[in-house]
Amino acid sequence: MPPDPTAVPNASAALQVSGLHAGYGKQIVLSGLDLEISRGEWLALLGPNASGKTTLLHCIAGMLVPSAGSISICGRSLRQDALGAKRQLGFGCAPERLPGLLTGRQCLEVYAAAKSLDAIDADVLDLADAFAFTVMLDRFVASYSLGTKQKLAVLLALLGEPALVVLDEAFNGLDPASALVLKRHLRARVSAGRCGVLLATHALDVVERYSDRAVLLLGGRIARQWSREQLEALRAMPGEGLEAALAAASAAS
Amino acid sequence: MQTDSSLPAGIPRWAARRPQVTAAVLRWRNAYRRNGARLVLVVLLTLLAACGLAEIPTTGLILDWLGRNVIVTVLVATCLFVLSTSRRRERAAAEAANSWLSPLPAVSPVSLTVMWGTAVRLLLVFAFVALACLLRRVDATAAWRLALALIGGAVLGSLAGRQLRRGAGDGAPGFHYATVRRARARWATRPSLLPLAYWPAAQGRIFSRPKVLSRAAFTALLTLPMGTPGQVALAIAAAAIALVSVASLSLAAVRVAFEAAPWLAPTTLRRARFTRAMVWRVIMTQALAMAVMVFLACAIDLPKALRPGVGLAVGLLIVSLAVAAVACAWACRRAGLGAEFRGASSEGRLAA
Repeated sequence: MPPDPTAVPNASAALQVSGLHAGYGKQIVLSGLDLEISRGEWLALLGPNASGKTTLLHCIAGMLVPSAGSISICGRSLRQDALGAKRQLGFGCAPERLPGLLTGRQCLEVYAAAKSLDAIDADVLDLADAFAFTVMLDRFVASYSLGTKQKLAVLLALLGEPALVVLDEAFNGLDPASALVLKRHLRARVSAGRCGVLLATHALDVVERYSDRAVLLLGGRIARQWSREQLEALRAMPGEGLEAALAAASAAS
Repeated sequence: MQTDSSLPAGIPRWAARRPQVTAAVLRWRNAYRRNGARLVLVVLLTLLAACGLAEIPTTGLILDWLGRNVIVTVLVATCLFVLSTSRRRERAAAEAANSWLSPLPAVSPVSLTVMWGTAVRLLLVFAFVALACLLRRVDATAAWRLALALIGGAVLGSLAGRQLRRGAGDGAPGFHYATVRRARARWATRPSLLPLAYWPAAQGRIFSRPKVLSRAAFTALLTLPMGTPGQVALAIAAAAIALVSVASLSLAAVRVAFEAAPWLAPTTLRRARFTRAMVWRVIMTQALAMAVMVFLACAIDLPKALRPGVGLAVGLLIVSLAVAAVACAWACRRAGLGAEFRGASSEGRLAA
């Protein structure tokens, strides 16, 4: 059923997705997906390969036009007020999409200028320091390793104090120390109510320890949800946990 | 032919230790199966072009001269094979390191790739000399001497080329032609889109690298009739270089627009700002190249070339601006960059 165009989106929600249909050509990837994330909430998006996680993130980032449904970021419709919605969005692009012929510093400056910022956030610079990324700032992105590109993608996503941070496999390629720095940084942002985080991931330890909620995407719909309490209970189960719960949910679907 | 059961049909057993060879054979076989008719057509057209080239009396004269002056031929062939061997070796090493087959416990394909390339080049030249011989443009003795001189040059050049170390850049191919611009220890007082303008300029430098420019100048000089005054030849070579540089920049602007738009799509950047940032440095660099070309035409006293030169320069700049602007608009629309396109595109799709 198509969503009611006159419905007023929930302004307190960092992200509100309702009745989303999207795909590529004739291939339907998402069919009637509903999702809501509030500020101060970390939502983990789980699902097998080709289940539509990246498609959903691309729709939220405005990189893919959905065939139906609505997406609102902080109450602003991505369709009717795309600029207003994107002003609240921090999207971590895929590392291979970063421009090889710009330096890390130039990438940050271009992104900051595109977001109309007066300066690079001190918070982001501190995170760059903690990542040991500062020494790479004046080198071409083409010479970066996967992990270094990933760090830059995350820094770009966090620029400008976005109310919604959307990350796709952000821990891929990160060394353990940097991964821990990023987890703590995101948790601190979320706990302070500065943003909501949507993280598509296969790293179940991040989901169990850091997220507030997890959803399983199967066949273009949300097949299962876990609350914080349920995740904590799963973490406490010896030998089982989220991995087994995911397998069971996938098999049941 | 003995085959291994784990190998695809028609692939010999010795190729099992060389997966690159197997992959290359399968790639060619698949290409033939998919576009067999097109491949045959390309081969036929190439043969036809070779016949046409061999029929030209000048070709016969050049081959005959090379066959009679063996030392010069050996020297030229040695230089060419040194360059091509070192270049191919560098490229093959980079490809082998990044290949999907590199983790396999197989013999390194670099030497084989380089030798194969040398052999193919030699065979093609021999075939062309034989064609000219059949068409009676060069006598058999000169053809034999030429072939032997080429073999000597190929052997010497290949051996020397293996030892030559070239300054290879790490990272993306060819990116050592672009330098880091505005490297500095501090942040800009206010972030701007200025660095975005360096991207197409750097890509343009990679497109118009010295190898490409020298080939353009060489090709332009080859088209000149004998007896052309030196100043005219120089002017034409310079014009060829300038035109290739200008075209490379336009091409770079188009390519970078399509790469940058998806990267910046999640931001609030507007289409006009994006286009301005992408285009202005490209146009300024092109204008500078054109100005140098016009200045050269004046300096070598070619008054007839001045007026059409200025007209051509202005025309090319306008075309380049239009091409870059259209590419930016198209890229923005495709990537969903800028609110105006995002809304229109969604409406259209929803209506459909």
